[in-house]
Amino acid sequence: MAGNISFSRRQNLVEKLTRLPWFMLTTIIAIATFGTAILVSATHGDAANSQLAGDHAIRFVVTLIFAIGLAVTPIRIWSWVAYPAYLGAMALLIGVEVAGVEAGGAQRWLQVGPVRVQPSELMKIALLLALARYYHRFLEKGPASAWVHVGAFVIIACPVALILKQPDLGTSLLLAATGGTVIFFAGLSMKVITAAIGLVVIGAPTAYFFALADYQKARVQTFLDPSRDPLGAGYQLQQAKIAIGSGGVSGKGYMQGTQSQLEYIPEQHTDFIFTIIAEEFGLVGALAILAAWGVALWQGLLIAARSENAFGALAAAGVVATLGFYVVVNIGMVMGLMPVVGVPLPLISYGGTAMLTVMVGFGLLMAVHIHRKDSL
Amino acid sequence: MSRANRMSGHQRVFTRRTAVAGAVGGMLWSGLALRLAQLQLIEGEEYARRAAENRIRLDPAPAERGRIFDRFGQELASNRRNFYVTITPENVAKGGGRMDELVKRLATLLPISKSRQARILRDASRQARFLPITVADDLTWEDFSRVNVHAPELTGVEAQVGQLRSYPLGAAFAHSVGYVGRPNDQEIAKVVDALDGDAAAIRRLYKHPATRIGKTGVEYFAENWLKGQSGYKRVEVNADGRIQSELDSSDISPRRGGDVVLSFDAEIQKFAMRRFGDETGSAVVLDIESGDILALASKPALDPNDFVSGISQANYDKLRFHTDAPLYHKAYDGTYPPGSTFKMVVAAAALEAGAMTPDERVYCGGKTWFGGRYFHCWKREGHGSMDLHNAIKKSCDVYFYEMARRTGPQAIADMARRFGLGEAYALGMTGGARGVVPDDAWKRAARGEPWYDGETLNFGIGQGYLTATPLQLALMTARIARSDVAGLPNLMLHGPKPQVAATPFEAIAEDVAERLRAGMFGVTSEPGGTALRSGDLGLGGPRLAGKTGTAQVRRITKEERASGVRSNESLERRLRDHALFVAYAPTDNPKYACAVIVEHGGGGSRAAAPVARDILAETLRRDPASKPAFSPEDPELADIGGAGRARTEPI
Repeated sequence: MAGNISFSRRQNLVEKLTRLPWFMLTTIIAIATFGTAILVSATHGDAANSQLAGDHAIRFVVTLIFAIGLAVTPIRIWSWVAYPAYLGAMALLIGVEVAGVEAGGAQRWLQVGPVRVQPSELMKIALLLALARYYHRFLEKGPASAWVHVGAFVIIACPVALILKQPDLGTSLLLAATGGTVIFFAGLSMKVITAAIGLVVIGAPTAYFFALADYQKARVQTFLDPSRDPLGAGYQLQQAKIAIGSGGVSGKGYMQGTQSQLEYIPEQHTDFIFTIIAEEFGLVGALAILAAWGVALWQGLLIAARSENAFGALAAAGVVATLGFYVVVNIGMVMGLMPVVGVPLPLISYGGTAMLTVMVGFGLLMAVHIHRKDSL
Repeated sequence: MSRANRMSGHQRVFTRRTAVAGAVGGMLWSGLALRLAQLQLIEGEEYARRAAENRIRLDPAPAERGRIFDRFGQELASNRRNFYVTITPENVAKGGGRMDELVKRLATLLPISKSRQARILRDASRQARFLPITVADDLTWEDFSRVNVHAPELTGVEAQVGQLRSYPLGAAFAHSVGYVGRPNDQEIAKVVDALDGDAAAIRRLYKHPATRIGKTGVEYFAENWLKGQSGYKRVEVNADGRIQSELDSSDISPRRGGDVVLSFDAEIQKFAMRRFGDETGSAVVLDIESGDILALASKPALDPNDFVSGISQANYDKLRFHTDAPLYHKAYDGTYPPGSTFKMVVAAAALEAGAMTPDERVYCGGKTWFGGRYFHCWKREGHGSMDLHNAIKKSCDVYFYEMARRTGPQAIADMARRFGLGEAYALGMTGGARGVVPDDAWKRAARGEPWYDGETLNFGIGQGYLTATPLQLALMTARIARSDVAGLPNLMLHGPKPQVAATPFEAIAEDVAERLRAGMFGVTSEPGGTALRSGDLGLGGPRLAGKTGTAQVRRITKEERASGVRSNESLERRLRDHALFVAYAPTDNPKYACAVIVEHGGGGSRAAAPVARDILAETLRRDPASKPAFSPEDPELADIGGAGRARTEPI
């Protein structure tokens, strides 16, 4: 088959660039552009924060160029860095344990000169790469045995345990969920998966009583009953719901949201930015954002399914799970479906670290797409 | 070949699982969409009504700032009731008014200067429109009620009652206690960086019209101690965001800041400030035993109350460019050549090194030849034959030239440091000069030249590169007066402790110290002493021991020397010498040490010694060391729940 042959040989840079997943790329550019416009509204009239929207746009453009650079990086190289990246991130996590900077009651950062490194952020991508590489070897030969899955479980459990100890429950859950997704795609039997879900349902209340810190328990209690804490997170949640609900079908108009513009909602340019979308653009705007993310992630799933090498398929599935986790938890949180956890809405919330992680994830997705016919 | 056959085993699993994942994702998305529909469609009207009536809003409530007391509980910094008026630009616009017209209208009711009006309008265009801008502060009750009467026609204007920092003693403690002011954008950015919390909430608090932060002095250093913990109050607002009333229940009450007690005795400080009259300079009084700083006066001074509500640029420039440097803490930051007050240190170095014995005599003929030029004594005709006692008493320069030459600069510099010179003392306020204790290493580093022998002679009479702060000179005097004390300066009796510890005093031999004290006693109490007229404290007994000094401001040329050195009186003021006097009292049982500098005062004995005498007399009369110090009640520490302040840190 001629077409197949031409695709399998080494592609040059121009060929690679023409094979970028343009539809997905357009979608994320649209989301980030909309995000910038929302940030303009969120910081409108606030002189001290007036530069945030501009920062956001610049960060997006810079990380987008970086992501395209990652996209043309051969899949072999991604596979080659997988273990070193994972081990490096593990070493940094242990470093945090030993010599980390404490901020807000949790030890999450390593201070290297002027730079603050947050190893748990690196681990989000590194774990996916390591799992994909691990499974790749076995899946090329046939279905993975139960022991292979146990090995993957260990690869996930190590960083999760360390991050849980910081304590950073949000990131540990994210790693566990995305790692679990990779195991699921690697073919773990549905029986085991059903059993695991059952275990979580039973285990969660136990964990609540024995593993959570007091302030984490307070969050859960506030979520279950917002009136418990009317001045703290409960207040925030009440105001967020009023903002979303009062947006109605078509919204109050750009920069016209009374809840947002009168600053009823703290953190509205970071974690609670969805409330502004819902208030100013209504159900139409909020659904549009949901749909845009749905399209982007659906494109990601297709990339995973079409990869002819297991490494790319699993890594791509992991990235989709990570981004999906962000979107669902963030929007679920501001609508009162989940406890208030510090998860940003990717490409829209202000914040440099999350932007970089998300765009590295997209770079990986695009790399898998471009190199889908390559073998390792 | 069919597509299914091309697919490897893992891909078949994959395709199935992608479908499952897609389905799960679809369910999650549907869940979010349904919730949106529930909030916005079904409950939308209800929420729209609540948004319109959203009446309860959290406003930051700044904490009351801790007070600053002197050692006996006299208030140096306190808080008083403040009537102020604010404008919220957003509300002005909503009421259909215009900012500039409203400000003009207010200016007819309140004393608001033209430049202040311009500043209000500038602030209004720069900061968030919902943030209130203070129009006028610290109003009289009459002004305040006039605004209240006109309130209905002044939409967007609010008359409020708050608290304002006040410095009851005004200028007396301007430099040490410092002052507070409104935080500027850089300062807010620094706080946001340092606190690592909810940046928006911090900004809102620091933009609050009642928020002040320490700008200088103790107010700056003890900021975190004094500021307390801000709370939130729930306020009832109408749909325009205008505050209708405050709901006192269930708010997080602010926690008052901690009080600070300083070692000052305010009465001694006030006396010292008064005693200077129109002269400028500084005075330091130390409790020798404890090291407590009783007074740290610097003249001229500014009124810190002027800064609390913001000082105009014109007035600030007037202070900044004033030739007598009123912004400058001369007692702590000012460095002067110690002149002859340094001679005891030279003597200590010489005696300890064995370079000279106290009874050895040096002949003073009014000048001495060294290194190709003459070094002159202040007394042109010379002192004749001098031993140590007489050389200190009469402040003979030629004797100390010889002593310094034999001792060498390194030993003198080392001894100067032992007596506390060349070190910046962290007391718990901004500033603190180190001064210069020169030696060969210093000169090579600072000037890129080796030490010249001639400089040793100048060093011996406290001139040349050597500089010291009045605080250091008082400390030096305390360490001469008593060898058995810690000899470390202390300011904070109750408050945050300074981070840097001072170098402990390594006492000199008691027989050497005894010689120095005898010499200082001679200065004030024996015939021929340079400050004989200032020895009696006027308390019917106790005398003081001291040493005069003169810090040369200008250079005396060879030509002038030949035609006769001009007297200080014949010079314009800014060229006159600084007058210095260091002293301790009582002579038999030293309790207090004092250093006084009268800038451009001429000679130490005439200008500085009487000031020091009167300050020491007042100190002995009050005898603060014999009375117990004040201890403040600790602020009630209202417990603030963690959940209330936590926003969205990751769980």
